[in-house]
Amino acid sequence: MFKFLFAVRKEGLLLIRDKAGLAILFLMPSFLIILMSLLQEVGWGSYVKESKVPILFVDNDRDSLSLKIRKGLNDSQFFTIIDSLGSAPLTKESAREAVKRGKYLIGIVIPKGITRSVRTNVRIMVAKTLAGFGLINPVMIKDIPFNAVDTVTIFFDPTIKPSFKNAVLSSIREYNYRNENEMVFRTFNQEMSKQFPMFKPPEINYNKGMEFKEVFPSERTIEKTPNTVQHNVPAWTIFSMFFIVIPLTSSLIQEREGGSLFRLLSLPIPYILVLLAKSAVYLVVCMIQCTLMILAGIYILPLFQVPMLVIGNQFFPLALMAFATSLAALGYGLMIGTLSTTHQQAAGFGSVSIIILAALGGIWVPIYLMPGIMRHIAIYSPFNWAISGFYSVFLRGGSFINILPEFFKLVAFFLGTVLITFVYRKFKSPIKK
Amino acid sequence: MVEQPFIRIQDLTKYYKGSSDPAIKSITLDIFKGEIFGLLGPNGAGKTTTISILCGLFPPTEGMITINGLDIKSDLQGIKRIIGVVPQEVALYPTLTAMENLTFFGNMYNLRGKVLREKIMERLIVFGLERFAKKKVDTFSGGMKRRLNLIAGLLHEPKVLFLDEPTVGIDVQSRIVILDYLKALNKQGTTIIYTSHYMEEAENLCSRVAIIDRGSIISIGNPKELVADHPEFKNLENLFLYLTGKELRD
Ligand SMILES: Nc1ncnc2c1ncn2[C@@H]1O[C@H](COP(=O)(O)OP(=O)(O)OP(=O)(O)O)[C@@H](O)[C@H]1O
Ligand SMILES: [Mg+2]
Repeated sequence: MFKFLFAVRKEGLLLIRDKAGLAILFLMPSFLIILMSLLQEVGWGSYVKESKVPILFVDNDRDSLSLKIRKGLNDSQFFTIIDSLGSAPLTKESAREAVKRGKYLIGIVIPKGITRSVRTNVRIMVAKTLAGFGLINPVMIKDIPFNAVDTVTIFFDPTIKPSFKNAVLSSIREYNYRNENEMVFRTFNQEMSKQFPMFKPPEINYNKGMEFKEVFPSERTIEKTPNTVQHNVPAWTIFSMFFIVIPLTSSLIQEREGGSLFRLLSLPIPYILVLLAKSAVYLVVCMIQCTLMILAGIYILPLFQVPMLVIGNQFFPLALMAFATSLAALGYGLMIGTLSTTHQQAAGFGSVSIIILAALGGIWVPIYLMPGIMRHIAIYSPFNWAISGFYSVFLRGGSFINILPEFFKLVAFFLGTVLITFVYRKFKSPIKK
Repeated sequence: MVEQPFIRIQDLTKYYKGSSDPAIKSITLDIFKGEIFGLLGPNGAGKTTTISILCGLFPPTEGMITINGLDIKSDLQGIKRIIGVVPQEVALYPTLTAMENLTFFGNMYNLRGKVLREKIMERLIVFGLERFAKKKVDTFSGGMKRRLNLIAGLLHEPKVLFLDEPTVGIDVQSRIVILDYLKALNKQGTTIIYTSHYMEEAENLCSRVAIIDRGSIISIGNPKELVADHPEFKNLENLFLYLTGKELRD
């Protein structure tokens, strides 16, 4: 046991002296996180946050529907309404032209008289309903036709993200429904007071419909919407943790190729002890790395005008996920360092395989944005288990139970790789003979 | 009573993987307690191979070895505890200091604390390295590395010390210090097996030598007696050249 601790101390010293290795381990990851978050936040931010998206709004209706839509878009804080281009008021044609030339992303045309048509139709519907109660003579209204309702036209720039397009469409649809509902109630109230003069229409605030509120479904809620930071920080943390494969394999191979192997093998200790000591040191490194990156997410990202990482308050599950991810990275490094014979092999295969596994596992692109087949493949990448676990903790306030599946998968991966390493070492001595 | 050999090597043969010629073939050799035994031979003779097998780095293809009565097949850990190795290549961590290197290797033999520090300092002083205790090994000269390499193999006071060309590439001063130290160790009872290309050195130091060529022992005995048997060669070097021929080896 003492020998093990002394071997750990030696590994620690070796690592501290390896300045380049330390830089790979600690500086690069922080840099990566800041860079990635900045890049993606800027991309997003221009749509969603600081600068509002301008919308060309051609209002030929000037009645309740167009007013509702205008107010809704204005209140949403994502858009600014544009009524005129230069000095000329907007027309359907000039709006189409402006979107076509890519000057604006969205143009909305509310046709003339649309509110009136809808209102008429609502009247007819209410009348037919009242007729059903016997309050109006059905014969009177039997043959009244519904009005044809014109369409609202929306021009979209072809580069617009489908999700964004859908968001705009559903907002407009929602404003339309609200408007119609209000009309129905008003008309109904009017008709009722005609029929029953004693009927006092209630004072109704028609905007009191259903309200939505975005909330984390964890017990102790943090009312903060997930953003790119919540993906980026865990993603690049995991990525960097796996990159210990490079210094770890390099250290393994260096010891094997350099003269020290001769002496190591002549020592009255099993070679595995050396491997284990190395693993222990790199395990600690991984954990420190993870801690630093999360701290960078919390304290450094805000300095760059990027939202702060919200880690929730499930520290124990978080530590477990960090531990399991470290183990997986470590096992992978041990395996590669043992199976490969040269530095070039290990570094080449190590880094390329990490990048591939990371891409498959949803580090570059979150798994929920991947096409179907990719999603099926992704679930076999240890990166995916790791990031799912971190999502659970960060976004859903996941408890110990929630992360268990991911935790065990990662530990199993570690055990698998260590088993391969040991079996290989058992049959193949590190020395060429 | 006939003295039991301390190291007994029987029919040792080693084929490296993928090689059809043996690196050593059928070496049989007894080495006794308290000897300084020289393994002499040209490049590629099989000296390092023999020492590696004796230290348990890898098993022989054939043959058996006992050291101090312990069979290398069944009792390797026991053997490793009583042997010390000074490899041909400098086997140290270049980024660690002399002290850190020696501390680690001492630790692996269960030495620690004050005892270990004293042993280390004592030897650093003997080999003139005490001023460099806290310097990293990669700042050392070739000779300094070799001396440190030597110290790393004998901190734990092994019963048997294997040295693979310990005096290669170092100046006369260092060489004298090393050889004197080995003689002193030997006086205290350490059995020493050592390889060299320097015939004169071996002639002075060794109680017996074995001349190996192409994996086989071609001559064995006390160096003085070997030369006495062939008076026409005057010294071991001439005899060696006569026995092994003048052609270059790989
Ligand atoms: N790892 C190896 N794989 C294959 N062949 C090897 C290996 N190591 C040594 N050999 C071969 O075995 C033979 C003996 O080599 P060895 O290193 O034991 O010689 P040596 O006597 O120590 O030589 P030197 O004086 O140059 O150190 C040589 O022919 C060498 O080419
Ligand atoms: Mg050699």
